[in-house]
Amino acid sequence: MTSTAQELHPAPTLAPGRTILELKGLEKRYPGTHALKPVDLAFKSGEIHAIVGENGAGKSTLIKLLTGVMPRTSGEVIWEGRPEALATPHEAMALGINAVHQEVVLCRHLTVAANMFLGEENSRFGLLQQRAMVRDAQRIIDGLGFDLPAHVMLGDLTIGQQQLIAAARATVRGTKFLIFDEPTAYLTRKEADQLFTLIRRLKGEGVTIIYISHRMEEVFELADRVSVLRDGTLVGTRDIAETNEPELVKLMINRSIEQIYHKEHFTPGATLVETKNLSGKGFENVSMTVRAGEIVGLYGLIGAGRSEFVTTLYGRHRKSAGQILWQGKEVEVNSEHDAIRLGMALAPESRRDQGLCLNLPVGLNLNLPIYKRISNNLLISGSREKAEAERQIADLRIKTPTRHALASSLSGGNQQKIVIGKWLAHGAKLFIFDEPTVGVDVGTKAEIYRLFSTLLSKGAGIILISSYLPEVYELADTLHVFRRGKLVATHGFHTASHEDILSQALAEKQEKTGGQK
Amino acid sequence: MSTEAIPAERPKRNYNALFGLTLLALLVLLWIILSVATQSFASANNISNLLRQGSMIAILAVGQTFVIITGGIDLSVGAVVGFCTVTSAMLINAGVPVFGAILITLMVGVAIGLFHGFGIVKMGLPPFIITLATLTSLRGIGLLMTNGNSISINNDAFQEFSRSSFVGVPNLFWMVILVGIPAYVFLHHSRWGRYLFSVGSNAEASRLSGVNVQRTIYMAYTLSGLCAAFVGVLLASRIGIGNPTQAEGWELQAIASSVIGGTSLFGAVGSVHGPLLGAFILATINNGANLLNVNAFWQRIITGVLIIVIVYFDGLRRRGK
Repeated sequence: MTSTAQELHPAPTLAPGRTILELKGLEKRYPGTHALKPVDLAFKSGEIHAIVGENGAGKSTLIKLLTGVMPRTSGEVIWEGRPEALATPHEAMALGINAVHQEVVLCRHLTVAANMFLGEENSRFGLLQQRAMVRDAQRIIDGLGFDLPAHVMLGDLTIGQQQLIAAARATVRGTKFLIFDEPTAYLTRKEADQLFTLIRRLKGEGVTIIYISHRMEEVFELADRVSVLRDGTLVGTRDIAETNEPELVKLMINRSIEQIYHKEHFTPGATLVETKNLSGKGFENVSMTVRAGEIVGLYGLIGAGRSEFVTTLYGRHRKSAGQILWQGKEVEVNSEHDAIRLGMALAPESRRDQGLCLNLPVGLNLNLPIYKRISNNLLISGSREKAEAERQIADLRIKTPTRHALASSLSGGNQQKIVIGKWLAHGAKLFIFDEPTVGVDVGTKAEIYRLFSTLLSKGAGIILISSYLPEVYELADTLHVFRRGKLVATHGFHTASHEDILSQALAEKQEKTGGQK
Repeated sequence: MSTEAIPAERPKRNYNALFGLTLLALLVLLWIILSVATQSFASANNISNLLRQGSMIAILAVGQTFVIITGGIDLSVGAVVGFCTVTSAMLINAGVPVFGAILITLMVGVAIGLFHGFGIVKMGLPPFIITLATLTSLRGIGLLMTNGNSISINNDAFQEFSRSSFVGVPNLFWMVILVGIPAYVFLHHSRWGRYLFSVGSNAEASRLSGVNVQRTIYMAYTLSGLCAAFVGVLLASRIGIGNPTQAEGWELQAIASSVIGGTSLFGAVGSVHGPLLGAFILATINNGANLLNVNAFWQRIITGVLIIVIVYFDGLRRRGK
């Protein structure tokens, strides 16, 4: 039958604490890799169970097995006491297992309501009951406390809002077991809080939540228990009250936490770029300088104007007023081409959409900005192409079998290294990193931060945009806070507290959002 | 001028070369089977004929491949060929020297390609639409110019060219080599070739990396238009008339050749040797079917089935990789 608002939460009458799903020796082998070594783990109803681990540790594999996307190699999955095959996604959904993925997998060109009921449309005599569906969807969304319209196209919402819709969608399907894969990667703090409220509410209704995140503070804020995967092995499960961040990080990477935020201070050199009262679409009146050897952090909520500011600086959008000075001289930057010629490099926020040619070789991606330099008038120098690519692969320790491997075959962290690496060869002076560590594991993060130091030591300057406060806080020599298109505050290294910076970014009297220390 | 350019680099992934080899094996296999099965296939006359038949589609397929690699499509090439037979015929009959007539006709192809680039880049039209529009209007313009009649070309030397051979190989096939070698170097050994791939893979990432995406798109369609105009000249020479309805459906044969040759319609995958082999495989099938007295209607069906089979196996191989 059709979903209606009344059936919204089918009120799982599960006794809390009862084992709902048990894995016995669950294992997955691919040709050549042992992605998941036999795992024994029991999930209880009404618990929030966090799973942490580096990229490639086996988290995605585990999710794929649980949601029926891939068949397991061996082992048993016992659902409510009965062994289940879990061979197809449909089977998993029929049991009440759903997942909300990091990247929204919904239809951008359908309305929010249509997405909510996709596959379970309300129809009468074969005709869609569109108005009823919009009404029901709106009721559900309102009931969850999200301030979002149900009749607009999904694509008109921000990524964060789409993520909330994806979560809401999962709740209408009689879900008993809900997996969140890095749900907050693209969310603002406010959206994340809404999501957390939803998650706690589901928990209260007896739903089991698996929560996968790279953000430790979220794990400690939400989870009841946490399991750690490393290299496909389950290395431990802890009650959240009995563990702490250093222990988890140690379990994940065998390395201590101080080594992650690798910060070296360099004496700032000459000014690379200066903006004077720069205004454009989405921001106004921004003045700042970036010197060689320093990291300038831009913190703010998504939509605060940081990305718009840097893309204008990078010639993507026209400025409406103000000046850009490059090494002391006023310049017009009318296109990315101009920016690149001056010596700027942008590592964009969305690796997959903007940073890489995924179905082309690693080497081609690395060399893309410098083909002009490694060609004579007509032909590319094959030996230089090879040498440049291999030098970057070695310098950045990009894990790839050869430079001919396709970029899509690499892990997220290694893909990010390609995005950075292609500018190193180009000899850029100013590096703009827009959310460089979204969806990247702790180990790769540490490598990316070390890369920053390498860049700085070579006399480059860095603009670092991040929505993740600890990242800009620990790395930026100068930290600018953006709010609603304006630069509202500037701090030196560690000269303000997290709370102060957060409230400056949020402006309105800030209720405690928890988690931030 | 650096001399190490060509041998040092194998820019294509190995499997692409392998695929080229298996296509070549398929072509040779077809030839062996047909030589055994028919008396006339292996005759010098028939081989020359086969090479002539395949040559023009092969050249179209090369231009088409540049466009498809960028993730686009050029449906206009058949119409451009027909239109260019008209322009070359009219120019030659008007007393323009043959060399000048050819040059002007090639410029017409370039102009059509630039127009496609303009439509896509500046007007934001999908490639399918703008080239479909050109397809139909060019036929119309040609019919207007000729009043619906064929124009006989009164220049024997011009027609002689496509009929004669050089060192035993038909001139038309030499033209494939004339186009193919520069096209290969361009696609695999120049930065513009790399940009075709990168734009087809991810235009946004290319733009952020400083690639001039708009110019790359202009370039792809211009080269396709140029190849089509060149084929128009060759066709005019071969049939000795200018007629705007000639080369009906050749755009589909060119696309089929390209796809059989391993080009992905999603962009970013393709080569020059693949489409050339694809074109001659198609030509061989048609030629062989004629010799075997297979009904012409069946030939079309066989061609369709073959496209599905080859591309399906190519897809399997890629996924298996």
